[in-house]
Order: sequence, then structure tokens, then C-alpha cells
Amino acid sequence: MISFLVRRTAWMVVTLWIVFTASFLLMRAVPGGPFSQERKVDRDVRRNLEKRYKLDQPLYRQYWTNLVDTVRYRDLGPSMKLKDYTVNEIIAQGFPVSASLGILALSLALAVGLTSGTVAALRRQRLLDVTVMGIATVGIAVPNFWLAGVSIVLFVFVWPLLPAAGWGSPAQLVLPVVCLAAPYAAYIARLTRTGMLDVLSQDYIRTAQAKGLAPHRIVIHHALRGAVLPVVSFLGPAVAAILTGSLVIEQIFFLPGLGRAFISAALQRDYPVAMGLVLIYTIILYVMNMVVDISYRVLDPRVKLS
Amino acid sequence: MPATGRSLFPYFAIALLAAGLAWATSFSTLPPADFTFVNGTEVESVDPARVTGSPEGRIITALFEGLYRPDPKTLQPLEAVALRHEVSDDNKVYTFHLRKDAKWSDRDGTPVTAHDFAWSWLRLLHPETGSQYAFLLTECVVNAKKYQSGPDVGDPVEVELADRKNPLEPHPHGTLLAGKLISIVKAPKPTFGPTDSDVGKERLLDEWTDKWVYTVEIEGKGRQFCKKPELVNPKLEKCAQVLLDRQQVGIKALNDWQFQVRLISPTPYFVYLTQFYPLFPVQRACVERYGYPGWVKEEHIVTNGAYQMEFRKARNRIRLRKNPRYWDAANVKIEVADALAVESSATGLNMYLEGQVDWTPAPPPAVITKLRERDDYYGEASLTIAFYRVNVTRSKNKPLDNVLVRRALNMAIDKQALCDNLLRAGQKPARSFVPPGLDGYEPALCREYDVKKAQQLLSEAGYPGGRGIDSVEILYNSSGDHGTSAEFIGDCWRKNLGLKVSYRSLEWGTYLSTVDKLGYDISRSGWTGDYPDPNTFLNLFVSHGEQNQTGWKNPQYDKLIEAAGRETDPQRRMRIFHDAEVILMDELPIIPIYSYVIVNMVKPYVHGFYANAQDVHPLRDLWIDQTEREKYLERSKRR
Amino acid sequence: MSKLLPGSPADSQRYAALLAEAQGIRGISLWLDAWRRLRRNWAAMASLGFLILLALASFFVPLLPLQSPEEQHLVTRQFEPPNTRPHKLGLAALVSDNKAYQSRVEAAWSNITLLDRGMIRARVALFGDWCIPSLCGTDELGRDLLARILWGSRVSIMVGVVATLVSLLIGVSYGATAGYLGGWVDDAMMRLVDILYSIPFIFVVIYLITILDEPTTIKPWLLKYGINKIVIFYIVIGAIYWLTMARVVRGQVISLKNDQFVEAARAIGASQGRIIFRHLVPNLMSVVIVYLTLTIPSVMLFEAFLSFLGLGVDPPGVSWGILASNGIQAINPVRIFWWLVLFPGLALAMTLFALNFLGDGLRDALDPRLKNK
Repeated sequence: MISFLVRRTAWMVVTLWIVFTASFLLMRAVPGGPFSQERKVDRDVRRNLEKRYKLDQPLYRQYWTNLVDTVRYRDLGPSMKLKDYTVNEIIAQGFPVSASLGILALSLALAVGLTSGTVAALRRQRLLDVTVMGIATVGIAVPNFWLAGVSIVLFVFVWPLLPAAGWGSPAQLVLPVVCLAAPYAAYIARLTRTGMLDVLSQDYIRTAQAKGLAPHRIVIHHALRGAVLPVVSFLGPAVAAILTGSLVIEQIFFLPGLGRAFISAALQRDYPVAMGLVLIYTIILYVMNMVVDISYRVLDPRVKLS
Repeated sequence: MPATGRSLFPYFAIALLAAGLAWATSFSTLPPADFTFVNGTEVESVDPARVTGSPEGRIITALFEGLYRPDPKTLQPLEAVALRHEVSDDNKVYTFHLRKDAKWSDRDGTPVTAHDFAWSWLRLLHPETGSQYAFLLTECVVNAKKYQSGPDVGDPVEVELADRKNPLEPHPHGTLLAGKLISIVKAPKPTFGPTDSDVGKERLLDEWTDKWVYTVEIEGKGRQFCKKPELVNPKLEKCAQVLLDRQQVGIKALNDWQFQVRLISPTPYFVYLTQFYPLFPVQRACVERYGYPGWVKEEHIVTNGAYQMEFRKARNRIRLRKNPRYWDAANVKIEVADALAVESSATGLNMYLEGQVDWTPAPPPAVITKLRERDDYYGEASLTIAFYRVNVTRSKNKPLDNVLVRRALNMAIDKQALCDNLLRAGQKPARSFVPPGLDGYEPALCREYDVKKAQQLLSEAGYPGGRGIDSVEILYNSSGDHGTSAEFIGDCWRKNLGLKVSYRSLEWGTYLSTVDKLGYDISRSGWTGDYPDPNTFLNLFVSHGEQNQTGWKNPQYDKLIEAAGRETDPQRRMRIFHDAEVILMDELPIIPIYSYVIVNMVKPYVHGFYANAQDVHPLRDLWIDQTEREKYLERSKRR
Repeated sequence: MSKLLPGSPADSQRYAALLAEAQGIRGISLWLDAWRRLRRNWAAMASLGFLILLALASFFVPLLPLQSPEEQHLVTRQFEPPNTRPHKLGLAALVSDNKAYQSRVEAAWSNITLLDRGMIRARVALFGDWCIPSLCGTDELGRDLLARILWGSRVSIMVGVVATLVSLLIGVSYGATAGYLGGWVDDAMMRLVDILYSIPFIFVVIYLITILDEPTTIKPWLLKYGINKIVIFYIVIGAIYWLTMARVVRGQVISLKNDQFVEAARAIGASQGRIIFRHLVPNLMSVVIVYLTLTIPSVMLFEAFLSFLGLGVDPPGVSWGILASNGIQAINPVRIFWWLVLFPGLALAMTLFALNFLGDGLRDALDPRLKNK
């Protein structure tokens, strides 16, 4: 386990380094890039950039100094567009919002997906199964911004139940979380159903049934653990998908999270912020993948962590 | 037994999830504010010397206060930090008497003095601050222009040595030496090739000025200074700046409570200028201690206005809390106000209609006709003009430097249809740059909508049917509903002139800097009069004005604006402005489109809000009737 | 035949019977078998039919009697809900006057190819001025939404298909080479894929696109070589999706590599390249096709995503993502323009739906374990 963690962390560092270097080269080597002398930037911005990035030094010196500064002080530089802010401050402000949105969405997706998938598997080929699977198939194909738009029309304007935007009260969480979670809930339901069906046909389940265990005990204590495996392996990509899905959801519902910060940075060409966010997202993805792999190992002892 | 770990795992996972859920929900609750309003886009900064927009203005006027403040109904100056002022007989010297109980919001409650104003105004002028509103002072205050652009030989100067604590920040400055400028030795001015970009040229000029050698007589001895001696002669002394001695500038604190300004010539609108936010004071100790951007952070910022900044979350909200040290704190009724950075007008309107915000400006035009019937609708013709800037430095395949082409562009736009069907709040098509409504001033008009004439002009210019012209790009900022107007106008040009049009939208900050660097073909702009006088509109387009941003230069126009600045007879002055505007409307480096109707939606329980031509609604003058508010909320719940 | 068989007449009879029986069992190819299975899956067949219809409609859009997708009717027809009011195109009368005809065409559609012009001419000949009414309503500038949806389908589908093909090209070559060569080359190549997999590519793509779209220096430079936004999309989006393809292909190649036909080819003396491309790749086709059908919807969704966020094609170009974005921005409680939200999203959803169903169906059909069932 320890060697696994160490190895994974080492690879994460390597990946981050590659992203950092690639961004560094892109930002400086590209003609008309933000740091090139050809670029006119506001005096304040130029001053901040010079201070942080030591633009008058030769390229390789700049690279080394920047790498060291970034690692030692964990300082990602000043924002080029929001004059009063540094990248770290922007990330610090946006991270809690996006994190809570992501956690809630993931929990909802798991809860809804696991239960509906299990129920569908148990009532196989009957009405409940077909309905649930039908909804699930629809859920996968629908783009989440469309779902958001339709739900705003329905639940904010036609039946004024929920607020349309903003962040600050629990009611404002409902629509964004549901719209973000929906496609993944659908996917998880399908995976759970397939996994459950696989497991239920196994011998040890038949043994349990033969022993006379109550059905819900069989399901929860024995079958679920095995059925959950494909879901767990999907969790890695699911987190990635939730991260990207949050870009759109945050735009529509005006949530002040990292997704909106990233889009604004990209559209305004605020390269330090955009790069900083790419690094953050890479770290999040890596950590989640590690957690998922560990959970996989814990849940299924047959799996070896390679 | 490994099984124990494994069987506990689900419970562990669930516990983790529950904790995450709790954290997530707790995180998203904030104690509510008394008053919430939509402020449009995220402000660039809250430093008064660094910004030019009105969203920034709303926050800055809540945080800081100038010599005078505007009456929310009539816009006439009311006493603020200054109690009264005297004007000399020749109308050129203003002496302001400050109140003694105005205090800064720092722990000690330091009083606001005339020295603060003197320092802040000089900071506005300092070349390294790079303020785009410095022209407010350089136009009318004695020697302000020279302070900003550099001294001449023979002038008393102050030399700032290169020993600043932070070499990149001018405040606090390094050691100042006073002396007299004997000579400036300049290398030959760099010549520019035809392929040099604007940026390249600027860089060459900067390098050139960095190499100038100043000989200054200080205390009887001549000393030589250079900004970058390593490039010229390492024996020279290094300096950061050589500026005109600040004692020469017509901005002076006579003592703690008297602030004197000397003007170049009588300026009738000067008192109105003092209400405008670039001329607000900032506390020297705070700025020098933390530098920029440190001093504008919520934990460091020191303000003298009705509010303090409690916190600021980027692209989210700024929370303003009543400043207990404000001299008029007793009359400030709203304790806590939130300014939300919501860019989309549709979302702002939605939040308003649901009751999340109490005031939203500029609802989307698509629904204005329905909103006009409501009694929380405030629409007022405003001293604001929407216009398109034309980048007259574009030539060859984008012949925007050809005046015939520009006139054709103007005459091909159906401004009436735009106002009636797209904007719908009662905006009026504009044929002049100065919007109608200024007393005593008659605007000069450009030609009207005439498609045939426009096509003729284009042919005359050598581009019949639009052939030979590359795609022209319309740039606009993404907050506000300028996209559809841009597409409409672009379509007019396509239909009527055969031009190819493309579009680009940028966020506010980027948009401002792109326009400033002339990185556009045609850009949509708006301008509100900073004070009720044609000068605030017409002085934008002098040849090297910071707000010109079109590349248009006309010495005749400059002469007229200068002459108007010196003219003492009010009627003749207005006529000189009219003549200048005739030139502007003839050459059309800008195409006026419509004059704004400022629309605000404000809840009925908010009092003190008046629609006025400058769309100024200081927070300190607003108040909320709680009983009325409760009744309103009840009623809307029941509905 | 029976004359050549040895043995007694009774044996010949037996052999003849055997032969007849053997001839009765027809061997079928993988493809035919798969097709038969697919045919039985009615959901997949319906999806296939829908997609074929969509592709045809998309290609022949200028031929269809639609209104102009760009013409604005600000004054008269803003925000119309779906209706059946008739409209005229205004081209039929101008057929004789070439100049007027051309300028009318320019006004109604910008940026169209020669082929499109030909189709428009044919459309005028067939349908005259008659246009399908605004069954999906109009938008803020009075533009017909149905026409915009159908014209927008071209962009969305083109990006989906071409970007997927790009990813196919890269992925198949990479994966096949890695799998075939094996050893440390394979390890290194797959390690690279692993690293790339863990980078959140979506963000990198957005970042890249904003760099490449930089309006003052880079964009004009790229335009000089004919690389406009759409081409950037093809390349950049295609560059994300090849990773999964590479992994899948590599897995297949590894299992096929040790099959006898490969050994046979090597015995004859075929070069590595020939073996990879002439023998292995065709056998990968089934896997590749399935992944193709499942990648196209992801790509289309991603393009819609990018357009929604404001990074899509520039106006007056239209794509489904831009339409969805405009629709959502127009939502407000005072006047609900539901058609602006519903129809573009519906078009996208139905296409994605169909592709997913077809992909699932193909996966089941091409599964060799189910052969001859």
C-alpha cells in the first residue's frame, strides 16, 4: 500500500511538472503570448508580471526561478485581469464552492444511482426496471446545460419553487446539484444494474438464499459489495466528468466557483489563472483516482494494487 | 483480520460523505445583508486612481468621499469633506475649507486633512500610476500636465533616487532631492520603420527616455542622473524619476484644513469635478505601507466614506458595512449592503423578481416593454451616449481611415428601428455626440439614415457594393446586452452596404484594455457625462487624449477645445464647443448610435432612490422601510 | 462428382448426402452475421434510420425549403412562438436578374460553398418561394429557429465526425504500433498514455483554444494558412479522444498478435509495417467501429459545451451549442421563451440518444462470443 501511494504521488509530480513546463513554453514561446515583449499590457499588470516572473532574465533562468518559486512558496503568480488578485487568492475563494458542489453532486449521483440500479436489478424485466432504465438512458444522452435550462424554466418560472441563480442559501443548491448529478446518476444506475445482475447469478448468493437469509440482507450485505465494483471503477472518470460538467453548471447558475473562474480566465486570456487552475484540476483528478484505486482494493481483496 | 477493515470501510465512506455534505451546506450560507444590489460586472479594482467604469464607481463612492458629494435628486454639490469653498476674483483659484470631523476608518481614526487631498491628487497625476482619468486634472490645473509628462529645462525639479523600498512601486517613493534642471541630453530619437508595431514603437520610446541624462543643479552642485545608467555610462547616478517639483503644481494644502487649487483658466464645471471618484482621497499611510494591491485588500483598506469593505469575493460579491467613523454616520441608514457581480442582465432580473436583490440596473431589453408598466420601474433619459468607436488607423483593406467610408457606415444604420424594436426603453437615436439635455448647448448633428446616400458614398470612396473591404469586426463588452445590437448594426451594414462583418465580445477588463491599445476595428462604447457640461464629452477626442482610443488626430479640433477651455464668456464658450462638435460629426471617428435611457428596477420599500441623468445613487442616501418590506414579502409569498 | 468418389455405390450415396448437407450449411462472414443480429435490435435500427436521415438532411440543407437562418426580422417577427404562418423567400422572382439574385443570396446566407449555391438554385426551381413556416419559433433578432437548427447541424455533425476520425487515425496507429512492437516500446508508449490520461484534457483544450484564438497575432497568422476555428476544433478535439482508442486497439492487437495468421504472414516474410496495417488493422475494425459510434456523441457534446461557454464558432456561424446557449440566456420569468431552450437541446439530445443506442447495438452485434446466435 505504501509503495503504491509513493509511486502514484511520484507520477503525479511528474505529470504536474510536464503541465507546468508545457504551459511555461506555450506562454513564452508563442508569438504574441502574454509575456512577449510584443504584448501591450496594462502598466499595473506589467509591473506585477515583471516582479513575479523576472521577465528580463534569460529564458532558462526564468524557468528555473519560476519553478522554484512555484514549488517553494506555492505561489502561482498574479492574475493578469483582476488587478487586485493573485492566482492563489482566486483559487482559495473558488475552491470551497466548487468542492461543495462536486461533493454534493457526487453523493446524490451515488445515492440515486445505486438505489435505482439495485431496485431495477431486483425487479428485472418488470415495469420498474424498464422505467428506471428508460430514464437512465435518456439521462445519459441529455446535455447537462439543456437539462439545466429546462429545469429553470419549469421549476423557477412555471412553478416558482426555487431560485434561479446565486450562492448563499441551501435552496440555491438544489437545482445546480441535481442538474450536475443527473447524467452520472443515470450512468451509475446502469452500471449498478449490470453489476448486480452479474453478482446475483453467482454461487455464493444462491448459497445465501438457500440458507434462508432475508432478501434485503442478501442484497445489502453480500451482493452490493460485489455489484459496487464497476461503479467504483467508474468513479474516477465520474469525478473528472463532474469537474468538467461544473464548468457549465456554474455558468448557468452563476456560482462563484473554480469553473466560472476558469472560463473567465480562458475567455479573457488570463493565462496565469488558467494555468493555475489546470494544475489544481490535475491534482484533484489524481488524488481522486488514487482514492478510487484504494477503495477498489479494499472492497475486492482479489485485486492487487499494481 | 483484513475483513474488519473491509467491513468498516462502507461506514467510513458514508461518514466521510456525511461530513462532506455538512461542510458543503454550511459553506453556502451567509448572513443576509440589509440591502443587496446587482453591480454588473466584477470591478477591476477599488483603487480610485486605477479605474474608469461605473460599476467601480458605485463601490468607490460608497467607500470613499471627496470634497463634495452630489445631491441624489438634483446632482448639485453638497458638502462632504469640504464645508465650503471660495473662488478668487479671476475665477482661477479655489480654496476649499474642510470639515474637522472627517476621519479615516483606521484604528486611530486619523482625521482626513487637506494633505490627504494634495497627496492623492498628485498620485493621480504621477506618471507611474498610469491613471486614465488624469486628464481631468491635467486639462485645468496649473502645471498638472507638466508634472505628468516631464519637466522642461530650467524648471525646478525633484529627483527621486533609485532607493525605493519596492523598485516597482512609486509609493512610498525613494529619497527626493530638490534642484533645478540644467539640461537633458537625449540620444537621437529612434526612427520607426513602416513595419513597426505600436507596441514596438512604445518600447523603443521607453528605452529612449530611459537613457536620457539629466543634469540637475542641487545645492549649488551639478549632478548627473539617468534612469538606466548601465546602458549609457555607469558613472552616472541612478534615479527613478525626474519630475517637476510638486510645489509648482497648482495643488496645495495650505494647512490641515485648507486645500487650494490653482486653475489654468476659469473652469465652470470644476466644482462638479470634485464629486467624481478619481478625485477622492486615499490614505497615504495605508498605501505606502502595503503598496498596491496590498492596500485594497479588505484587511488593510482604509476608507473615509460611509462604508467599509467587509469582504470581497472575486466574481461573487462585495460586502459593505457602515463605517462608524464616517462624519455623517448617524444619517446612514443601511448597515450592511452587498454588491453582486452578476454579468448577465437576465440573471440580475431573475434574482430581482425572486426577491434575492433589491435593486438591479439595466434589465434585458427583450422584456422592458412589459416592465415599463410596473411601478418599480425607474427609467430616465440620461446624459449618456452609446456610440461606436472607429479605429482610424486601419487602412488598405479596411479603409476606416477614409472619412467617406465612415460617413457611409453612419448613414447605413437604422437607429430608429434599433431603439424602437430592440432597445425598447424609449432610447432615442443619436445624431450628435453630446446627448441632448444640456442647458444652453446646441449639439452639432451628423447625417441621417439614408441607405442610397450611404451606398453612393461607399462607391465614391472606391468600394462600390462593399467590394475590396475585408471583414470588419465589431468589438463589444460581454456584460450588458450589446451583442444583439451589434448583430443588428452589423446586419444593417451587410444588407445595405454589402460589407462582411464579424463580432467579438470580451469581458469588461479585457475589453477596456483592448480598446485602449487600439486592438479593434470598430468597438461599441458608452460614455456618461462626468459633469453637466459639453466639455466632458468633447474633450475625449483631443489628439492625444487618454480616452480618445481611436487614433484620430485633428489639430483644429484640439485648438477649439483648448480655446473653449480658456474662454470666459459662457455663451461664446458654448459656441466654440459647437464648432468643435461640427468637426467631430463631419469626420466621424465615432458614430453616435443612441442616447441612453437608464433603467433601474428598485423594490418599492427602498427609499431615497431617484432617477437622475447621471445614474448616481449613493448608498448613503438610501434607506429601507422594514414594515413595508415585510408587507411586500408577505404579499409576494401569497401570490 | 460422384464419378470421382472411390468405393461402392452405397458409399458414394453416403458421401453425396454428406456433401449436400455440408453445402447446406452456409458459412457466413463476421459482418453478415453482425448485420443480421443488428437487424433484430429494433432500437438500434430505428437509431440508424434516424441518423441516416439526419446526415442526409444535414448534407442537403440548402436544398430544403427552409427560411434563411441569418436574416433578421427585428421589427416584425421577434420572439415568435412556434407557428404556421407562411413566409416567402423572395428568390424565385429574381432568377432572371443575376445580380439581384446573387445579392439576395448573400443577404440570406453568408459563407456558403459552390455546391450549396447549386443546391439553392435547385431548391428555387423545385419549391419556388415557399418556406416551411417557423415551426420552432424565432429568436431575439427574428431569425427562424428551425432553419438555424438545421444549418447548425452541419457544424455540429462535421465537428463530431471529423474530430472523431482524427482521433481514430492517431489512436489506431499509436495503439496498433505499441501493441505489435511490444516490449519496452510498448511500455513507454503506454506510460505516456497513462500520463496524458491523468491530465484533465478538457481544461487543457480550452486553454489551448484560447491561445490559438488570440485575435491580434495568432489568429490572423493561422487564418493565412486557412486554419479557422472549425479546423482548430477538428485537430484539438480529436487530439483528446485518441487515448481511449489507443488503449482499446492495443489490447486487441496484443490478443491478435499471437494468432496464427500473423505467424503465417511473418513466415512468408511480410515486413512489420505490412503486417500491422494490412493484416492486423482490418481485424480491429469491429472494435474500432463500436468505439467510433460511442466517441462521436462525446465529441459533439464537447463541441456543444465549448460553444455554450463562448469558445465556439464565431457568429454568424451557427451550431447547436450556440443555439442552446442563446436559449438559456434568454430565459426570464416575465416572458418565457421556452422554444428557444427546448428545440436546440432536443435536436442534440435525440442525436446523442440515437448514437448511443446504435453504439450499444453495434457492440452487441459485433461481439464474437455471440456469433451465430
